[in-house]
Amino acid sequence: MNELFTKGEMIARAKELYLEERALKRLDGWFIAKEIETEKEGEFSHLPPEEKKARLLVEVLKNIPLSISDNAMFVGTQRDAFARSYALINPSFTVEGFSGYCDPLAIYGDIEPNEEFPAERIQKVKAQTAKSETVKKLNAVYKKAEQDTKEVLFFVEQVTGHVIPDFRPALKYGVDAIIKQAKEGGDTDFYKGAAIALSGVKVLIERYQAIISEHLTTATPTRAQELLKMQETLTAICGGGAKNMHQAMQLYLLLWQVMCMEQAPNPYAFSLGNVDRIFEPYRGDLTREEVKELFCHFLVFFNVGDRSWAISQNVLVGGRDERGNDLSNETTYAVMDAYYEMNLPQPILSVKLHANTPKKMYREMGKFFFTPGVLTPSLFNDDSLFEVLQKNGVDVKDIPDTAVAGCQEPLIMGQDSGNTTNTWLNLPKILETVLTGGYSLISGEKLTEETPYTLKDIRTAFYTALEKTLDRMVEAGNGCSVALSDWKVPFLSSFMGGLTYGADARDPKKQGTKYNGSGCLIHGLTVLADSFIAIDRFNEKYPENKELLVNALKNNFVGYEDLHAFLKEAPKFGNNIKEVDEEAKEIALRVSQMVRSRKNYLGNPFRPDYASPSTHLTYGYWVGATPDGRKSREMLGYGVDPLYGDASNGLGFRLLSNMRLPFAEFNGGYASHLGIDPKFFRAESLEDKGEAFYENVVRPLFFNEYQTGVNPFYLYVNVTTPETLRKVLANPQKYAPSGVYIMRIHGTFVNFLDLSPDIQQDIIKRLDLSSTSIA
Amino acid sequence: MYVFGKGFNYGEDGPGNRLVIHLSGCNMRCKWCSNPNGFSPTAGKRVTAEEMLDEILSCKPMFFGGGGVTFTGGEATLWHDELKPLLISLKKEGIHTALETNGTDERLPELLPYVDYLMMDFKHYDGETLKAFTGMDNGVVKENFAYNCRRQIPQHIRIPLINGFNADGAEGFVAFFTKHDTSLTDFEFLAYHEYGREKWQTEYQMKNAFITKEQLTKFNQAFANSGLKVIKT
Repeated sequence: MNELFTKGEMIARAKELYLEERALKRLDGWFIAKEIETEKEGEFSHLPPEEKKARLLVEVLKNIPLSISDNAMFVGTQRDAFARSYALINPSFTVEGFSGYCDPLAIYGDIEPNEEFPAERIQKVKAQTAKSETVKKLNAVYKKAEQDTKEVLFFVEQVTGHVIPDFRPALKYGVDAIIKQAKEGGDTDFYKGAAIALSGVKVLIERYQAIISEHLTTATPTRAQELLKMQETLTAICGGGAKNMHQAMQLYLLLWQVMCMEQAPNPYAFSLGNVDRIFEPYRGDLTREEVKELFCHFLVFFNVGDRSWAISQNVLVGGRDERGNDLSNETTYAVMDAYYEMNLPQPILSVKLHANTPKKMYREMGKFFFTPGVLTPSLFNDDSLFEVLQKNGVDVKDIPDTAVAGCQEPLIMGQDSGNTTNTWLNLPKILETVLTGGYSLISGEKLTEETPYTLKDIRTAFYTALEKTLDRMVEAGNGCSVALSDWKVPFLSSFMGGLTYGADARDPKKQGTKYNGSGCLIHGLTVLADSFIAIDRFNEKYPENKELLVNALKNNFVGYEDLHAFLKEAPKFGNNIKEVDEEAKEIALRVSQMVRSRKNYLGNPFRPDYASPSTHLTYGYWVGATPDGRKSREMLGYGVDPLYGDASNGLGFRLLSNMRLPFAEFNGGYASHLGIDPKFFRAESLEDKGEAFYENVVRPLFFNEYQTGVNPFYLYVNVTTPETLRKVLANPQKYAPSGVYIMRIHGTFVNFLDLSPDIQQDIIKRLDLSSTSIA
Repeated sequence: MYVFGKGFNYGEDGPGNRLVIHLSGCNMRCKWCSNPNGFSPTAGKRVTAEEMLDEILSCKPMFFGGGGVTFTGGEATLWHDELKPLLISLKKEGIHTALETNGTDERLPELLPYVDYLMMDFKHYDGETLKAFTGMDNGVVKENFAYNCRRQIPQHIRIPLINGFNADGAEGFVAFFTKHDTSLTDFEFLAYHEYGREKWQTEYQMKNAFITKEQLTKFNQAFANSGLKVIKT
């Protein structure tokens, strides 16, 4: 393909293609897909669920409107699988807007009725969806858990997306070979469904070929050449394996399209895995520059609509093998070049680092970290991932294929159904009910039954309450997973080990993937640690006076200013103070072990994940004042990070506290962010700054020779200042003339300008530069 | 001792990753000072030598890459009597020590057996000019410099280059340094910056103090021509 273009032209066309996408203000494809399913449902109602789902998927692929842009070098789109609904980039998102219910029908409120899609048409499909067994079961689960979820003692949800398919066999051997494998699997409902669903890729290819033929009748001679090349590629991969980079990328995108359509309208957070290793075998004699050009087009595919609504799709590069050898290659750097060139809001880039990562990698990353408004990769410590995952039962030979589903949850590509965001636990809210005897400090309502205790036994009382809460949470979480399992995913399952294990990846009785678990996102670790220590201090000064503390909390410290100041003075996590750092470690150990002792719907352990994807805001909003001096409704600490403003001695001290945490326990993942002031990096070139970033941030955090346990394995950074971001908001035309100013928020990139005001302010606040200063 | 700032950096104030401790109080009043908040000897937090030792020891995991602790200021040697036993204790604990000083402590040689890496400012070769800009002349600084050369003590000399103060005086510096055996001495030029400008409570007096590329080049050339070793950290 590259040979058809003069230098720079192909990239210019990719940028045009992105602008076309960004001009799309409506996303109606998902609704059309649901409508097609609704209309055809009766026709297939006699079939087993796997086959029924597969046939419905093929019907959608046969009938969904398709087009090809004149700027496209690849056919395909995932646009028809997504709704304009994801909270963070939805301008109507507010911290107060949390609802304790993940309503599967809410999506129908995200499509604006118009002439083509009048309200009655939308209502008809919604009503039909409401009749499904899944929706009924979910309603029952949420009703039972309502007392716990309405003020977020915990939260549960049915998890769609959030896995990493392994398309490598399909790229290598072709879709026909995979269909053959499904057919040979056995005469079961699953294998039948898989074979039919897989044929959907060929349906798409043939439809796109027909569109190309039509375009050829009117195309300019130049465009005709491109179209013929695209046609040639489609012919090659219509059943067969890829023979070159263009074919491999094209086939990959079509597989992705079908996979997302199967889960429309909510296929969030699929990950692509280690794309540099996936595509390098197809590079042939292409140069780094040529691969970059193709990859620029490849990247545009992952941006959907005006705000890149297909959020949290993760691309990984780098990493190591079982023996510690570096696995980066020429495609690694081509991918990074494309990211830098395009600077798109999606998909997310993550880099896996390890002891043998070449210095070149750090030097090439400098341009990301130190160019304002340009995306920054999140960083994984692959050496630690090997230790953590191996300890938790993953075969070492599988670990090089670790990738990231969603924000930072490590899963094995094609083998791991992690059900990552199934359950969400709010530790400070549990502490609140323990302190108040079961009452909410926010609403005053009685939420739980608590046994009386004295304040010096706060820890025992807390962990007792936590045990009970976990039991209720796990029941509700498993209820969601079982409810969702009625919606089969035969296509996805074919790339998740289903063809080996003979079961759907969501099957609640038979495990369709090599690895399986359910996630528990644990919130408020550091607020709880700070609170326990503050309560110790309180007990020393005011023995046997629980009432005083509870009254202060009830009044949000109004009238208790001296006590508030006293509690704020108590040691806080993040300052290298052993007492509180050890408390955080102890909590993390105990909570992780308690979570891991719970079994999911298949009898596998839950996975502790200390991540809070903006839920540190929404859950904090439902937590009253806490004994550490945090005021009512204020945010919780983000992930495992110190609470905003509580760590003020700079980066080294924060890292020393961080090092004490038991990262080996966090097999579900964890979140951590550093806002870094660029002024500390004074080297002249971006490459030298990249090296300085390694020495000052990455090395002490990830590869610290003095760490006795497992080193941390995840970090994302924003290198900027609050002043800079305020300027960008005040004058976007000047500071972000393209309309795109990329920032990171937990696992994902976001266009800072697309965010809701609440999230913009959270990003600014959480830069918390006093916690990351360098001397 | 009073501490008005602390933090870590890599390779900027001595080798490896270092805990940099700013001790309060300074006997100079450099108009370009980037830490004027440390002028007062009681600025910041009071810390006993014992507490400081404990804290430094708790930071050991961050002393990678041959790092350790660096005492700076203000002017760290104003706490000479407290600093010396602390340095001795640190040496016993195997912690790498560095000292950044303006060189005005007459008893500096007493500390040096316990300092692994010495960074000393040499702001001007002319005592009168130095006094006019900082309130101190350079007699002791020159003596300490000479002592280190004579005793073959490695020293890293930092010269802040400031337009209107010393940036046109390369020859004067060279003339002084070449009188000594500088085989174990290296030099670094620190171009004027205003990173500390916002810390000044009173009006910031420096104007047109940034140096040009040509001025810097002249220094580099003059030092190179005289066999003086210039490094960049």
